[in-house]
Amino acid sequence: MSEQLEIDDAIGTLDADGIRREKRGRRAATIRRFTSHPSLVVGTVVLLALIAVALLAPSIAPYSPTRTSLVNTLAPASWAHPLGTDQFGRDVLSRLIHGTRVSLLVAFWVAAISLSVGTVVGAIAGFTGGWVDRIIVLFNDILMAFPGFLLALAIVAARGSSLDSIILAVSIAYAPRVAAVMRSVALTIRPRPFVEASRAIGLTPTQILLRHVVPNSLPPVIVVATVSAASAILAEAGLSFLGLGVKPPTPTWGNIIADGQTAITTNPLISISAGLCIAAMVVALNLIGDGLRDALDPQMRRQTARLL
Amino acid sequence: MKARSTILDIQGLTTTLPARPGSGVTLVDDVSLTLARGETLAVVGESGSGKTMTFLSALGIAPPPIRVVAGVVLFEGVDLLTLSPAALRERRGAAISMVFQDPLSALNPVFPIGAQIVEVLRAHLPIGRREARERAVALLERVHIPDPHRRVHDYPHQLSGGMRQRALIAMAIALGPRVLIADEPTTALDVTVQAQILELLADLRDESGMALVLITHDLGLVARHADRVAVFYAGRVVEQAAVEPLFAAPRHPYTVALFRTIPHLDTPADAELTPIVGHPPNPAALPPGCPFEPRCFVGRGREECRATRPSLMPAPSAEHRSACLHWPMLDAGKT
Amino acid sequence: MLRHAGHIFLRLAMTGVGIVTVAFFLMRALPGDPAATMLGDFATVESIATLRAKLGLDEPVWWQYLLFLRHAASGNLGSSVVTGQPALVEVFASLPPSAALALSGMAIAIALGLPLGIVSAVRQGSWTDMIVMVVALAGISFPVFWIGLASILVFAHWIPMFPALGASNATNWLTQLYHLVLPATVLGISVAAYIARLTRSAMLEVLSQDYIRVALAMGVPRRRVIGKLALRNALVPILAVIGVTFAWSFGNAILIEAVFSRPGLGSMLLKAILARDYQLVQAGVLVLASAVVVINTVLDLAYGIIDPRLRAL
Repeated sequence: MSEQLEIDDAIGTLDADGIRREKRGRRAATIRRFTSHPSLVVGTVVLLALIAVALLAPSIAPYSPTRTSLVNTLAPASWAHPLGTDQFGRDVLSRLIHGTRVSLLVAFWVAAISLSVGTVVGAIAGFTGGWVDRIIVLFNDILMAFPGFLLALAIVAARGSSLDSIILAVSIAYAPRVAAVMRSVALTIRPRPFVEASRAIGLTPTQILLRHVVPNSLPPVIVVATVSAASAILAEAGLSFLGLGVKPPTPTWGNIIADGQTAITTNPLISISAGLCIAAMVVALNLIGDGLRDALDPQMRRQTARLL
Repeated sequence: MKARSTILDIQGLTTTLPARPGSGVTLVDDVSLTLARGETLAVVGESGSGKTMTFLSALGIAPPPIRVVAGVVLFEGVDLLTLSPAALRERRGAAISMVFQDPLSALNPVFPIGAQIVEVLRAHLPIGRREARERAVALLERVHIPDPHRRVHDYPHQLSGGMRQRALIAMAIALGPRVLIADEPTTALDVTVQAQILELLADLRDESGMALVLITHDLGLVARHADRVAVFYAGRVVEQAAVEPLFAAPRHPYTVALFRTIPHLDTPADAELTPIVGHPPNPAALPPGCPFEPRCFVGRGREECRATRPSLMPAPSAEHRSACLHWPMLDAGKT
Repeated sequence: MLRHAGHIFLRLAMTGVGIVTVAFFLMRALPGDPAATMLGDFATVESIATLRAKLGLDEPVWWQYLLFLRHAASGNLGSSVVTGQPALVEVFASLPPSAALALSGMAIAIALGLPLGIVSAVRQGSWTDMIVMVVALAGISFPVFWIGLASILVFAHWIPMFPALGASNATNWLTQLYHLVLPATVLGISVAAYIARLTRSAMLEVLSQDYIRVALAMGVPRRRVIGKLALRNALVPILAVIGVTFAWSFGNAILIEAVFSRPGLGSMLLKAILARDYQLVQAGVLVLASAVVVINTVLDLAYGIIDPRLRAL
């Protein structure tokens, strides 16, 4: 009998050790899971580099992005102007460097707004259920019926073109997508036993929300948000290209492409380099989104893939 | 054991899930099994012990990137692992076939069950659509699905769980296999339906003389339906014997522990059932010695159990084999 | 099946009312006065008031909304401030070249994206898969108007194979088709990238299902498992993808029309926006959103035919 007890004690310590070891192992595995996805690493590095460029723009840009020089218009690439100058004699490289700011700003705000509005609305729909859910879903479906870029176009048309309009417009177009994902996550979490169990042991709804809902819903929602940010950059570029974006002379990658369009045959470098900048940032965001999707549990693919 | 000729002979089968080049997680570790014509072999063990993976690997349908790294799988004297994909495909589903655990996910939801059986028939036989359809109806009848002429047009979601499993069995026996592997065929079903399905499998075995591999964790089923048993633990076979000797005198601590987890008719009503302590091991982090050592009531903490990983050895005969260094102690404890 | 269809049509009606409502409130409930926006920076208080009265903006919002709904139901979406024509007439007049662009672009996109997505899913991890996925990532990451400009540079200037202008006044349909090739291809490629990515993930999802493993275990040839069984299962998510991309391709078509100076709904909308002709903008957006809704409804009906489980809903 006493021997049995000893053995049980041994099992106890053994298990505690085992659990500790397993926990440490799991943390290491989590880190490995992220670093072993090259797309995630590459995307993050590129994005961080672009953020650095945006923050340091005034100090690393060789010229002021708005300084015109009418004697030096459409200059070819040279040591003084590595990417040449545009039709107003402005240094293209400096304009590109400063253009990073607008794109990042739009991406950041759209991700922030669509994330906060979308998650709250989606969570309310998913957890409340009933007619609240039905109304939100219908409203969401209606907003998603509008082609995103078109919706942005209409809002800019109604409000006039400004950075705020663009951010608002693209956020309205993408928040429903975040909400839809959040709702589907909420629906899958709601019936899971740990939520029931938490309620049974007397956790408040807020505690349940923080402990179970947020950690479970964050990954898929972040994936959608990165994709929204990528789409926002493309939408801003498109609007700027059409002349409906940020007012010139403020440089944005979209209006640099538009400026370069008139000189596309003689100075193709202007438009091409700006397009490459946009692509670099969008690729970075998409890589982060793809990488996260692969790194986090594969079941998530089901929740996000169809909505993107 | 009756002297019946061997139909399936698995030797040293090892399957890994490669994590990165050079390293990998071993899911099936040096497994050797034999199956004689017409016999029923029960394969038991906890979930994740490599029971299913052994047979998926043997048939060359382990989900990638999992792959077989060693071993031979002799089916009627031919090594399945070295066959060309085309030759393997000809045998798969025809000479050697499989029934899966969850009939709902094993049947394709967007095709009627008849069409799915027709698909299998026509993959192996040079017959027309009409003839295949007639055979499908006959097969549904053979697995006792009522009104087969109408049911043949039903989609899986229109059938009950038991009917779905019958349809899946009809598909598996469509070409008269010599070996049928039934992977937990009743786990997803109601208790009453479970008995019917096993009855059906036993009848089909007796009628056709096919050998049956019954993968299960239900020891009651084993006692009732199997001739021989292989016990799996952590990707390895730890004990292999005929049913009677195994139930009478298990010679691996894991098997003993397994028996303690189930109630018997002869156990007193107030007796406590003993769950196996600890958790099934993580296949990515197996201890260097015997994988059962940390949970073992005999070997825990013993030097020799921690140091060496024993293989199957006669205990004491070639018919009853155990992978425990201390199997004689179990025998002594019994008497 | 009938219930499935009834369900879908009920949703179509509700979404229809919904998009009209959203279009109305987007224009009115947003901060900013449409009348002031229309008249621009030099508007006087009086001129704004006059325009507000003319547009009915001085009425209470709910009354304006009901009026708008009634007019919309009878096909009256207001009229263009610039030409005085009914807005809907203007929109439909500009529709054919856009429809030609969008439809031919979608045809190219489906013909390219679908097989590429399937091949890369089936050969997951191979070089083919890698290359397709890298190209597709580039395809969704470069702005479509930039791809258009680059194609003009390469295929109209450096190698003069196609005209830089995306349209001609010639009545000869062959000439018109010739002008359509470049813009339609650019649109097709940008949407194909999107379709290929989503098709791949839909197909991977299906290929990991038990019933696929069962079919292989039963000796059904791989080619048949992929080409018949798996494809049928993947068709529902793939159709959903194509539905989503239709909306996407409309947005891209506007930008492509601008790049190739092609007449159509896009250039009409742009002109209307610059002229602050907002009823025309509203009508254009409504028509396009309705097109998206109708296309998605047709696809919803198709799901029921493909997947028997949905018929029971």
